[in-house]
Amino acid sequence: MDNIVELNHLTIDYRLRKYALRAVADVTLPIKRGKVTALVGESGSGKTTLATSILEVISTPGVVESGTVLYYGNDKPVAVTKLREHELNAFRWREVSMVFQGAQSAMNPIMTVYKQFEETFLVHNRKTPRQAAIRQAKQKTIELLNFVNLDPERIMPMYPHELSGGMKQRVMIAFSLLLDPKLIILDEPTTALDVIIQGYIFKILKRINVELGISMLLLTHDIGVVAEFADYVAVMYGGKLMEYGTVREVFKEKRHPYSKGLIESTPSLLSDIDKMKPIKGSPPDIRNLPAGCIFHPRCDRCMEICKLQEPEDHKLGEHLVKCHLAKQ
Amino acid sequence: MNERLQAGRQALINLVHKMLKFLNGLGKVFFGNPKSVFGTSVLLFFIILGLFGPFIFPYSTDISMLDQLLPPSWTHPFGTDLWGRDIFRQIVAGTSDVLSIAFLAATFSVVLALILGMFSGIVGGFIDKFILFLTNVFLTIPSLPVFLILAALFTVDNPLTFALILMIFSWAGMCRSIRSQIISLKERDFIQICKVMKMSRGHIIFKELLPNVGSYILINFIIVMKNAITGSVGLMLLGVASFEPTNWGAILTSAKNNGALINPNSYMWLFAPILCIAIFQLGVIVLSKGLDDTLNPRLRVM
Amino acid sequence: MDAVKRVLKRIWLFLFQFRYFFMKLGISILTLCAVVILSFILIVNMPGTVIDSFAMQLSIQRRISLEQAMILAKQMLNYDPDAPLFERFWAYIQQLAQGNLGISIKNNAKSVNLILKELLPRTLFVSSISLAVSFVLGTFFGSRTTWRRNTIGAKVLDGYIVVSNSIPDYIFALILITVFAFRLAWFPNQGAYDAMILPGFTLPFILSLLFYATLPIAAYVFSQLSFWTMQMQGSALGVLGEDYINAARARGLPKRLIVRRYLKRNAILPLVTQLAISFGVMFGGAPLMESIFNYPGIGLAFSQAIVERDYYVVQGILLFVSVIVIGVNLIADTIYSIVDPRIRRSA
Ligand SMILES: Nc1ncnc2c1ncn2[C@@H]1O[C@H](COP(=O)(O)OP(=O)(O)OP(=O)(O)O)[C@@H](O)[C@H]1O
Ligand SMILES: [Mg+2]
Repeated sequence: MDNIVELNHLTIDYRLRKYALRAVADVTLPIKRGKVTALVGESGSGKTTLATSILEVISTPGVVESGTVLYYGNDKPVAVTKLREHELNAFRWREVSMVFQGAQSAMNPIMTVYKQFEETFLVHNRKTPRQAAIRQAKQKTIELLNFVNLDPERIMPMYPHELSGGMKQRVMIAFSLLLDPKLIILDEPTTALDVIIQGYIFKILKRINVELGISMLLLTHDIGVVAEFADYVAVMYGGKLMEYGTVREVFKEKRHPYSKGLIESTPSLLSDIDKMKPIKGSPPDIRNLPAGCIFHPRCDRCMEICKLQEPEDHKLGEHLVKCHLAKQ
Repeated sequence: MNERLQAGRQALINLVHKMLKFLNGLGKVFFGNPKSVFGTSVLLFFIILGLFGPFIFPYSTDISMLDQLLPPSWTHPFGTDLWGRDIFRQIVAGTSDVLSIAFLAATFSVVLALILGMFSGIVGGFIDKFILFLTNVFLTIPSLPVFLILAALFTVDNPLTFALILMIFSWAGMCRSIRSQIISLKERDFIQICKVMKMSRGHIIFKELLPNVGSYILINFIIVMKNAITGSVGLMLLGVASFEPTNWGAILTSAKNNGALINPNSYMWLFAPILCIAIFQLGVIVLSKGLDDTLNPRLRVM
Repeated sequence: MDAVKRVLKRIWLFLFQFRYFFMKLGISILTLCAVVILSFILIVNMPGTVIDSFAMQLSIQRRISLEQAMILAKQMLNYDPDAPLFERFWAYIQQLAQGNLGISIKNNAKSVNLILKELLPRTLFVSSISLAVSFVLGTFFGSRTTWRRNTIGAKVLDGYIVVSNSIPDYIFALILITVFAFRLAWFPNQGAYDAMILPGFTLPFILSLLFYATLPIAAYVFSQLSFWTMQMQGSALGVLGEDYINAARARGLPKRLIVRRYLKRNAILPLVTQLAISFGVMFGGAPLMESIFNYPGIGLAFSQAIVERDYYVVQGILLFVSVIVIGVNLIADTIYSIVDPRIRRSA
């Protein structure tokens, strides 16, 4: 198998008091082993929701309504949504780890950085004698902090609020490597950081992918990053998967008007700034999505059928396009 | 002439329309959910009792030694006191007194908190620091002893002075929250836009800031009412406030001082004012919770 | 010269660490000044006849002429109503600075310091036990019901909270003393300990103290418990929504550990400062509670002094209690800043 995770017809609702908010609707998506898969989409398109379902840590009141998440570790696939509590806890961070969006608030404010590394390490190494485990934890922490170019001596006794934004992000990346997972989910790892730090962090991520051979799922709304860094790309819109394929396929062929719009609205990809055109309109309100294709009110190639009928997934090999135009 | 009439009629219709809309809004706020319905009903019940009760159940202070400490009956729903006077009628007669103290105290503290809090938040600088310090002082000093001192210094014999004394310690916490709300509102976009558009201070304060702290004020008004009743009854129990003998606190005090704690026959005398206080407070608390649910909707799903 | 500068800078940096504490200390001192001024106002507003009647009392007791008694009274009280305001204030401050809180003008000129020394331990005894019990129970119930909303226990707790909020603590005290002291006679209806037992650090005496304090403690706990439960619920609910809780789940930490190390600890921290405020509230409520239970503590003395217009006792107790409350507030703030790294080291 060359897929490490497969999402099959995954549907996730936030069950609010008055109604259910469908944040992810019927998404089928493979994540390739050893590769970087990017998940792009505007704010609110359901990226975080989708990604957290792989670890079964969707924020309350989110619930997987239907569909499966399959994880291919060694031999047998594991259905993550069916795991029991202790199996799930063993699976988390060991197999798949995550760098959360806004790493600022992902650490316990009243524990030092090292204590949190150690805590997680110990919980996952119950069988090792305690003293030995602590020694290993310390060694691993130092090694990882060095890997992300931080000074372990200085960082380990610090409290989270004492770290700068870029330092926090690197600490969290080191943290995600603690148990040598096979897949790392990176939720917008560079938003709110300046361009130089951004480049720096992507260098580290590239090394993790290439040197350590760890698969990655990268959530971002920055198309420029995708072009430079990812192998595969999945485009989400209003909770639905609009297009999936290799970066080459998606960027060259531009078969979906939404992906095309995203690409053409990114200044860094075009030499000619005059050609840059933002997508008109604003992201959809997922509480009441338009009938037919949910992108049609903003689409510049909208046809009659788009207003009436939702497009199917058109597949060309592994390249998937959810658009009536792709039919021919 | 005809046109004028037409315009006048239109204006009148508009006015009625506006009033209906206002009433509708008021209804939505005060009857928006089961909690509010319960709380509003309790409050309305006591208000009506206070306004009209004394005419329906007039209270006479005549002493009748034959009717001493009667148990509850149809003629005396709560029985009679040591001097044979009907307790239910005493309670009815005292309602307006209790309510007016609570209402006045709440009004005074809200107004003071609002003025100082807004002033502090809007002006900032040294004045802000000073007001903040004042609230700090009032929040730290134990309030009941100071109530006692004030009640001893000034003879407390009408709702107004009573309310003024009770106000002294309820404005500070509110003032702080209003201040911090104003400061956070000031930073928000729409106020910045108002500033850029060079709208007058008056406009910003009355049209933009005030409505935004409105719900907070309404809810706190009710909570201060509750605290004022707790405080006033406490002062009466300590015997530092000479007062209208039919005030619930006064009835309670008189029962306590005349052996009601010991004599099982006079339990009703003790119990009736306690019951009224508890029901009133309950209504007020539930109403404040209901208003909180209506006015500050949070998606809190657990 | 350079060395001096360096040393000064070191000292400055050292002190700078504690600037949060110094700021709080400054505010506390200012608050204290405000209280002193308030109690001085109380003395100034004392009617002139108060000193006259005190002098009368003295002249009868000590068999001296009224003029002599008047001079003696002014001396004993260290207060001359005819002196200019500033002089009176200065005399007052001097007296306070010597740790002298004045004397009672009703109770045989007993010194207020002595009254405090006798009665304060009892009030402290009752209020600290009540506070400890309600804090421990309240935070426990509060955190438990936050993530188990739909158990029967949680519903009962909700009901209790509403009831205890609608009944003021002193009314609950009235009910308690009526039922358990007068009607059932399970508990005493006055006093702080059994007069037959010799006071001392012995088990029977401590048990007797506890027995006599049971009803007052129950009344305090009844009202305080709901306060702490609500505070803890609010605080825990806030922490529950924090990202680090979800992140901890993602790391595979077991639920028990998350509740203990992440939720509870973070939720209890902000309650530490509340503890001091609550302490002040209890002290403030003591005059009422103690007079209902006839419990001879500082509160009962205070309310009696108010009724008897014993101005110096009133002033002295208010001052002392305020000092305690302000001090406790300061300590709580300091502890909070030590246990919460966000304040401790924030740059
Ligand atoms: N805890 C929650 N409760 C209710 N609704 C939520 C919750 N979390 C997310 N949502 C809703 O689900 C939808 C998808 O949110 P999600 O966080 O997955 O978007 P996203 O693509 O990650 O956006 P962003 O780029 O801003 O991070 C949004 O409409 C959001 O309002
Ligand atoms: Mg997101």
